[in-house]
Amino acid sequence: MFHKYKSVIEEGDTIIVYVSPEAMRPVHVKSGEIFNNRFGSFRHSDMIGLRYGSKLRSNNDKGFVYLLHPTPALWTQVVPHRTQILYLPDISFISLYLDLRPGKVMIECGTGSGSFSHSIARTIAPTGHLYTFEYHELRAATAKKEFEEHNLSSIITIEHRDVLANGFGKTDIADAVFLDLPAPWEAIASAKDALRKDTIGRICCFSPCIEQVQATALALDEHGFSEIRMFECLAKDNEVRTVPFPDIEEAINGQKINFKLSKCDRKKRKLESEPASGGHDDEGKDAEILISKPIDTARGHTSYLTFAILAPEVEEE
Amino acid sequence: MEPMQLDPTLIKDGDFVVIRMPSTNSKIVCIKSGATVSLGKFGSFKADALIGNTFGHTFEIEKGGAIKPHKQAGFDNADITEANNKEIFDDPKAQKLSFEEIESLKAKSLAGDVSAQEIIASLTENNESFARKTEFSKSKYIKRKQKKFMKSFLPMETTVHNACDFFFEANSQKIRGIRTDTLSQLLSLANVYSDARILAVDDGQGLVISALLSRLGDGGQVFAIHDGDVHNYDVMRYMNFSAECKERLKALSWSKLYHEMEPFTEELAKNATEDDINGRERRMRGHTKLSDNLRNLREGEFDALVISTNYNPLSVIKKLVPYLGGSRMLVVYDQSKEALLESFAWLRESCEFLNVQLTESWLREYQVLPKRTHPMMGMSGGGGFLLSAIHLAPTED
Repeated sequence: MFHKYKSVIEEGDTIIVYVSPEAMRPVHVKSGEIFNNRFGSFRHSDMIGLRYGSKLRSNNDKGFVYLLHPTPALWTQVVPHRTQILYLPDISFISLYLDLRPGKVMIECGTGSGSFSHSIARTIAPTGHLYTFEYHELRAATAKKEFEEHNLSSIITIEHRDVLANGFGKTDIADAVFLDLPAPWEAIASAKDALRKDTIGRICCFSPCIEQVQATALALDEHGFSEIRMFECLAKDNEVRTVPFPDIEEAINGQKINFKLSKCDRKKRKLESEPASGGHDDEGKDAEILISKPIDTARGHTSYLTFAILAPEVEEE
Repeated sequence: MEPMQLDPTLIKDGDFVVIRMPSTNSKIVCIKSGATVSLGKFGSFKADALIGNTFGHTFEIEKGGAIKPHKQAGFDNADITEANNKEIFDDPKAQKLSFEEIESLKAKSLAGDVSAQEIIASLTENNESFARKTEFSKSKYIKRKQKKFMKSFLPMETTVHNACDFFFEANSQKIRGIRTDTLSQLLSLANVYSDARILAVDDGQGLVISALLSRLGDGGQVFAIHDGDVHNYDVMRYMNFSAECKERLKALSWSKLYHEMEPFTEELAKNATEDDINGRERRMRGHTKLSDNLRNLREGEFDALVISTNYNPLSVIKKLVPYLGGSRMLVVYDQSKEALLESFAWLRESCEFLNVQLTESWLREYQVLPKRTHPMMGMSGGGGFLLSAIHLAPTED
């Protein structure tokens, strides 16, 4: 599902029901069940057999939803938050920096809500493997159930384990390690143990505070990691609109332009006020411009991403 | 059960490698057996010495072009609270070595007769103000000199990240100014995975195509549409892709988009020469390839449409959207936001698309040193914009 596209919705699929960008819900399709929202109800049995990306009308025809194929990116937007989660810009940058691709073996700690796990699994499947550790028992169990429902069990092994106390229990196995822990510096020795010694190993530590970065960098240096580099990345959303852009002559001539009307309403008003002239364009007055601007409030900080590499062992001469 | 591991990445004869020098400048070089790789004032080394090595080590160049792994010094604990420039005067006479003496040391160093450490030692010994410096500024002075005189280098694999980073620094216009973080988001948004079939347009010399290919496995495919007769995906040749990986790229010229195939009817003349026979075979292979490619494209239902183009992106979107599957992603990259606005407005009005987004990516690197952590003094001004939307299945109503 998350690591392979399908074209038609089947029993047992997890799909994303889309009403608007703010209203998306994951639904596990099971005939006999019903999905309800303010537009009415939608029978799961009506979803089965439809193509992904189809529109489904509610039983009372009051509204509709779109039935989308799940992807790790959409999952990040709908995942039930059991912890603070990783967002797309960080997930993407870490994956590229750690050179994730099919066949890579990776260790993630902790699993949290599993937002990043889905993305890692998608990228390293079908031949790679993710070992993910979570010290919170209930969170581990919930994530395990989700991975099973999403057919990711062959790619993800999840273990309820306190790695600070017990290490990863893995040696010379991983191409990459990702640490999202309150004290990542205490897990660097285990990470070193888990990384392969016959080829370059890569690590990323994800910490919101600069003090954590300081301690992590010292630990990485002490344990022989090199190329310690730290980044912060964000994506700024933009809104795009067509707005009136009249010549000042209009104001000089005593015209008052309503700058707040949407493009659609402007069109409507125009048709009402001058039905005879129809689409006639009175230049200056009706001038418009397509503009964009960053949205008013944006995420300003997620975490610092500290990267390092572990050089393979060399035989002493 | 333990999972299968990929083979360790070793530097092979003929591979391209990014070489980072002490100055932190990088170059991309081909490691060819028998050749000598020159790093200018940082010396030169025999390519054969590097072949067979793994990545991750910094190497020091020795006399005669031999190399050996060099243990890098860890963090120093110089204390910034003592750092001040109270006793430091800008005095050109502080250095007792003459210009000629320094030049001769440099020449000896390049020949491998004097080590970088020895040069730096004689520079500090002969520098009258060095002793008056605080530990912090001593360490800074030595680091600055190391950047100039060390004869060492770090070979780095041309991963997609490293290649993008290298070209972004060296010649960002070549790759249409796409920065590592933006490229990484493009791969996520397009949901690239092992078996994906991706339709792509890349007028940035193939960095985007290379990034897509790197995430594919046996069942995957990149179908690329390019202008001109043959594509110019120059970046691909630096990626050390296997033959199987390159096979996953299918390319078609825009000029053939609406081409209708005729059966191959060329007959050989009775007195055909070997050249004639070879020529006919070549044309027949071309004919089959074009016919396969057109059939492939027209099957449609691609898993993603990824565009980075010098042409009007909206015109490209309109031509290629019919080949994109339902509930699949459209992702368009451009260096400037203006180039994407018209497409954004069109996608939002179209009932074929959902969740239209336009984002600008932002990336900042920090210096991390004990008690001296701060954002880098310089950063890239911009890494480009991504326009993305979810494509819907055709509706009956």
